[in-house]
Amino acid sequence: MATNAPSTAVTSAQTHPRFGRRQQTWTRKGIAYGVLIIGAITMLLPFFWMLSTSLKPERGVFTMPPQWIPDPLIFDHYIEVWNRTDMVRGLFNSAFIALLTTFGEIFASTMAGFAFARMRFPGRNRFFALLLITMMIPGVVTMIPSFIFFRLLGWIDTWLPLIVPLMFGTAFAVFLSRQFFATLPRELEDAAKVDGANYLQMYFLIFLPLAKPIIATLFVLGFIARWNDFLGPLIYLRSAENFTIPLMLAQLNSAYATRWPLLMAGSVIALLPIIIIFVLLQRYFVESVAITGIKG
Amino acid sequence: MAASAKQERSRLGRNEAIWGYLFIAAPLIGFLIFAAGPLIISLFLSFTNYDLFTSPRWAGLDNWQQALSLTFAEVPQRLDEETGERIFRCGRTDVPASQVPELEGTYDERLRQEITCSPLYGRPRESLPSGYSPWFEFMIGERSFVVGATDPILWQGMFNTVFLMLGIPISLAISLGLAMALNQGIYFTNFFRLIYYMPTILPIAATALIWLWIFNPDFGLLNYALGTRINWLQNADMVKPSLIIMGIWGGLGYQMLIYLAGLQGVPRQLYEAAEIDGANTWQKFRFVTWPSLTPTTFFLLITSMIGGFQNFVQPFIMTQGGPGRASTTVVMSIYDNAFRDLQMGYASTQAWLLGAIIMLITVINFSLARRWVFYETDTAS
Repeated sequence: MATNAPSTAVTSAQTHPRFGRRQQTWTRKGIAYGVLIIGAITMLLPFFWMLSTSLKPERGVFTMPPQWIPDPLIFDHYIEVWNRTDMVRGLFNSAFIALLTTFGEIFASTMAGFAFARMRFPGRNRFFALLLITMMIPGVVTMIPSFIFFRLLGWIDTWLPLIVPLMFGTAFAVFLSRQFFATLPRELEDAAKVDGANYLQMYFLIFLPLAKPIIATLFVLGFIARWNDFLGPLIYLRSAENFTIPLMLAQLNSAYATRWPLLMAGSVIALLPIIIIFVLLQRYFVESVAITGIKG
Repeated sequence: MAASAKQERSRLGRNEAIWGYLFIAAPLIGFLIFAAGPLIISLFLSFTNYDLFTSPRWAGLDNWQQALSLTFAEVPQRLDEETGERIFRCGRTDVPASQVPELEGTYDERLRQEITCSPLYGRPRESLPSGYSPWFEFMIGERSFVVGATDPILWQGMFNTVFLMLGIPISLAISLGLAMALNQGIYFTNFFRLIYYMPTILPIAATALIWLWIFNPDFGLLNYALGTRINWLQNADMVKPSLIIMGIWGGLGYQMLIYLAGLQGVPRQLYEAAEIDGANTWQKFRFVTWPSLTPTTFFLLITSMIGGFQNFVQPFIMTQGGPGRASTTVVMSIYDNAFRDLQMGYASTQAWLLGAIIMLITVINFSLARRWVFYETDTAS
């Protein structure tokens, strides 16, 4: 197959001598636009459907064919979700947990990443390898002993099991920040040493300010992971006032199973903050994907 | 003089080492408390029975046997209820042993075909102790046997989990196509990227609600668009494909972005060289683009499979594992054992089993990778 491929290519080029290069580019681009636009509509349709349903009166959803633009347009379900459920509280809980854990994770991880990349001490590489192994342990394997441990501490139905482990940093973040710090020029330390700075000063005054790109990436990845986490809160949280947004939605679903406009209004409220953050910080999202993909 | 300089250097080195250990202390302690410790404790728990309220009792290999063993049973031959005679099936009719025609095969005028008689057996499902599900049946001589998993929920979950991972190659193919379309030097690249990527960052708990409504059999968007009346999530045959569809929608954008980065890394000279050789579009894809993207594909495959084995939230919210057990996953089985039935020991066994399977599959993937993944350094050889 591989050997005779070039010869067939030559014959096909000869049989279409007038199929111009420019024309070829245009058909290719046309197909690309077609595929992308159809795909984009498919991707967006569920969101539009959610929004449209959330603005319909209760009985408006049970019509066929469905109404795309609700008529009448009502906001009652948003008000009901806002008043009757703890959704606002859930938003606050989620934001608090996600922000605190992400900052803690970044603080602890970048410091360790710096040490692994720029400092010399016995056993450095072995400790780093140990941390890398952590990344390969599936979360389910450690889930049960962790639960038992936190139960012994009396931390069930508190946010502590969700927050405390991340304050120690994560292997993934250590790895990413190590890779980042390793790329910075050697002269930075030398200059700092000449000025008589100790390692804390060197880290906080020189390296940390340079680490903004990796911090942004870690923030975006960490925040999304914590905001979306379902299994952790499901296991540890019991009372509704402690629930995070994903748990609130699951609860909403079991409480109002067939009231679709209400459920969709809840989904909109849950999705809106994250969509806003996404649109504002889209550059960092895209970059974070590129960075995490590179290690492959 | 030289000696004091050396001393000074070693003092500085010690200083650096102390600071270094302080800097890495937090993740290392975290590693011990939240990764290594639980890993070992969970292995220990897998050999015990533990219900959280009484202290763990050593159970030896019981849990592992429960998780891994098969159960055999003989399926009894069907007997006539009144006479106790064995029943044979001849063509389409069931006859007691005494009335079986003497001949091996007789010609039946009504059916217009040769008919043969064979003994009739009971239902395999009823032969296994309750709850055990049959895997396969086999015959030794005239006797029929059935084999089933001792823990049918776990293995049904394993089957479903692997089935749901069929979405991975489909998703990879679609996202590669989209990435190639995006790579044609197109307007609004950023806009498209944004739209495709957005579902991947949203909480599954929320997108699952949207898709529950889309999959609604009576008033859902999907049945309306297709003009069908399929009961997507309440039908045992449709529930897994439905979850796969939603999974593809929710994961496509990440893979597309990674592929796009991969495509932009393909050296331009390779295409130019291929064009000089007269390669057509397909050949350029087959011999330039695809080999250059195999490391990207490998990365995506590994990470999606590791994630796929731990599939939980989506079926948990959308189907609760139903209908029946048609969409139960391994992690759901672990969750139920641990937090509903409070069998922490047995749940740990299942968790370790899953962890071991993930490890094994990853190792196999890496060893297979040598056959199909090209790294740039390889191309010279």
